[in-house]
Amino acid sequence: MSAVAPVAASLSPGVSRHRLQWTALAVLLIAACALPFLVSNYRTFQFTLVLVYAIALLGLNILTGYNGQISLGHGAFYAIGAYVAAILMDRFGVPYWATVPIAGALCLVVGFLFGLPALRLEGHYLALATFALGVTMPQLLKNKALEHWTGGVQGIVIVKPDAPFGLKLSPDQWLYLFTLAITVLMFVVGWNLIRGRVGRALVAIRDHPIAASAMGIDTARYKSLAFGISAMYTGVAGSLGAIAIQFVAPDSFVIGLSIGLLTGIVIGGLASIPGALFGAFFIQFIPNIADQISKAAPWAIYGIFLIGFMFLMPMGINGAIRLGWARLRHRLSAQRKGG
Amino acid sequence: MEAFLHQLLGGLATGGIYASVALALVMIHQATHLLNFAQGEMAMFSTYIAWALINAGVPYWAAFFLTIAFAFLLGLAIQHFLMRNLRSTSVLQLVIVFIGLIVIFNSVAGWIFTYTIKDFPSPFPKGYLFGQKYLSPHELGAIGVTMVVLTLLWAFFRFTSLGLAMRAAAQNPVSSRLVGIRVAWMLALGWGLAAAIGAVAGMMVAPIVYLDPNMMAGILLYAFAAALIGGIDSPGGAVVGGFLVGVLENLLGAYVVGNELKLGVALVLIIGVLLVKPSGLFGSVQVTRV
Amino acid sequence: MSTPLLEVVDLHAGYGLTRVLHGISFSMEEGSITTLLGANGAGKTTTLRALCAMIRPQGEVRFRGERVDSRATEDIVRLGIGHVPEGRGTFVHLSTEENLRLGAYVRKDRAAVEQDFDRIYGYFPRLAERRRQQAGTLSGGEQQMLAVSRALMLRPRLLLLDEPSFGLAPLIVRELFEILRTINQKEGVSILLIEQNAAMALDLADQAYLIETGRVVLSGSAAEVRNNDAVRASYLGY
Repeated sequence: MSAVAPVAASLSPGVSRHRLQWTALAVLLIAACALPFLVSNYRTFQFTLVLVYAIALLGLNILTGYNGQISLGHGAFYAIGAYVAAILMDRFGVPYWATVPIAGALCLVVGFLFGLPALRLEGHYLALATFALGVTMPQLLKNKALEHWTGGVQGIVIVKPDAPFGLKLSPDQWLYLFTLAITVLMFVVGWNLIRGRVGRALVAIRDHPIAASAMGIDTARYKSLAFGISAMYTGVAGSLGAIAIQFVAPDSFVIGLSIGLLTGIVIGGLASIPGALFGAFFIQFIPNIADQISKAAPWAIYGIFLIGFMFLMPMGINGAIRLGWARLRHRLSAQRKGG
Repeated sequence: MEAFLHQLLGGLATGGIYASVALALVMIHQATHLLNFAQGEMAMFSTYIAWALINAGVPYWAAFFLTIAFAFLLGLAIQHFLMRNLRSTSVLQLVIVFIGLIVIFNSVAGWIFTYTIKDFPSPFPKGYLFGQKYLSPHELGAIGVTMVVLTLLWAFFRFTSLGLAMRAAAQNPVSSRLVGIRVAWMLALGWGLAAAIGAVAGMMVAPIVYLDPNMMAGILLYAFAAALIGGIDSPGGAVVGGFLVGVLENLLGAYVVGNELKLGVALVLIIGVLLVKPSGLFGSVQVTRV
Repeated sequence: MSTPLLEVVDLHAGYGLTRVLHGISFSMEEGSITTLLGANGAGKTTTLRALCAMIRPQGEVRFRGERVDSRATEDIVRLGIGHVPEGRGTFVHLSTEENLRLGAYVRKDRAAVEQDFDRIYGYFPRLAERRRQQAGTLSGGEQQMLAVSRALMLRPRLLLLDEPSFGLAPLIVRELFEILRTINQKEGVSILLIEQNAAMALDLADQAYLIETGRVVLSGSAAEVRNNDAVRASYLGY
């Protein structure tokens, strides 16, 4: 995974840095593949969720980090993805692996459609509108009219798939590897997207919308596209999450989820691909840590973490790492020159 | 016809509460150009303080005013110690800070007071007044209290020199400094007042919806809708918007979408206003220069 | 020799990394009208802003002998310095009368404030006509008068004016400057005037300083500066 944002060029290229990055990436990938065989089933399940969140966060980052459109309602797309998977598997017997692309495609369309009216909203107002979406979603899911499909307040239970081809893997292990493969795929696609023309257009629109359109970028199309793509990612994540947790119910998708996703990308690092992974670790494990710090009010600790991050590390974990790395390199090269 | 009137008048009662919270939102927006997403949780927390006081034996109205004082100080503190130091951060980071506040208030309230739903007393006598059956005494009282608060606020801003200074500081901080107004204090006062209004709203609504940490979330959404409909920079508009939204919520909930989707009404209103007429009914159109 | 009203020594200031003032020094006597002249971007407005701590200055600024360069704007106002900023700084959503009342915000002498309303309306009858009108709807000239009046409501010892003639018809400018002369002579208000309209400024002022790229390059009485050949060529056009 490259840590280079599309517009900022790295200051000291050199073959060694790239090779370092690729090596690190390879090591990470190998470690990730080995993981389910080294830890318990429960831990593997937790890491599956980390991957799921990472996909969702990458999607949200495309919209909010790279394109500057704030969304406090992405939990809604996650919920749609989850329910699509659950309904297809439970009511229609669709195999689990097919539900993922279907969820993604549906969310792509829904996201794009939502992106159209959102074109006219900025900053706080977009946050407010998406916030309203996020709050309303559980109510919609509980609606009596849709109960036949959604299972109403009870929700839907689904079965975790077994490993195929008779492989000697537990369902948790197989699901982890399946999710890992999809995660890698989504990240590679995302990386290419951001490095390319689309990514540059998105960032240009974020930083100087008027200049961007004056240069001939169709801001409306790209902004709606960003919404659609980010919703697709989140929908894919939602479907994978539903399969992992084996259960969907309206109260799993309350506004807290949307809030968690947004905080995830800000903490992890806006407009960065590794940030999605850091953020995923944060939202999966920090509530547990907060719980340990204070059994009584874990979310208060979480909230304090959030505010603290905004004061101390506004660029997120990824930003802090890059800053630290740059400082280290500066010091090393200064030492070399100074002798 | 009876049912309709019932919904209409009940809508006015809740509308008064939305109007108060919407006014608090507009006040903070005017002064800081921020939407205070944490307004609802602050109000909820203040209401719990009132509950604790009443439970400890403090008479209602004493607890009422003590809570207002507490809320005032709370709002002041948040602006002075937290928001003031965040001036140079981006919109997104500010939203995260608000989220942090929401989460902290919600969680601390749940921790100190538990998540079980509580009764909150109403200071108004039982038994329907004036021989009518449409508005309970509490609903009538809530409307009354709302009107008193709004009138006092209006008079404060219109006739006192401090109110004038606060209006000036919100509109034009640079010029305000040039006439000697301490703008930072004015912002803190604004936050304090907004928090106090929120506390009143919370204490008026708690007897109706029962006290629990998630009490204000839906109300906040309606209040945002109201503030937007009225015009985010128009205090009068916020008040009108509040009553409008209260009535709409009840009527649409009763006759069109059903009670479960009432919150969906807020969503549609918010998005609708932002798309069709972002300056609201009474606000002014903002022109941004390139 | 009495203490000058205003003493500025080696003033440096700027906006972020852009330094605009590179060591401005000048002084003003009580009761005088002093003008700072210079082209666009020379640093005149920046000087006024630094005096009022709207931007943070380095160097010394003394008002009536006291150092004020590290004080906040709100405190400097309370010492009796009224600033009519570039662009007027009108509270456009408030009424004319409210604007004036804000000018007297720091004063505690209520009765005198009410009297001052009458005095100001005496100087500027047009403002009296429009007292309840929203200030943003006043014409440019009226808003300038309002801005000056607002500063006068402070009963300042020193009035800072940043390009009061900007965008105004010559007749109105003449009217305004006459009133400034009256205020200076009758009420002893010292005036520090920034103007691009060098001719009118030199007509009104006693002392003048010429600023170029953040430094004082010429100083003297208004008459001397007016007769300086270089000034005549570059700023007066004859």
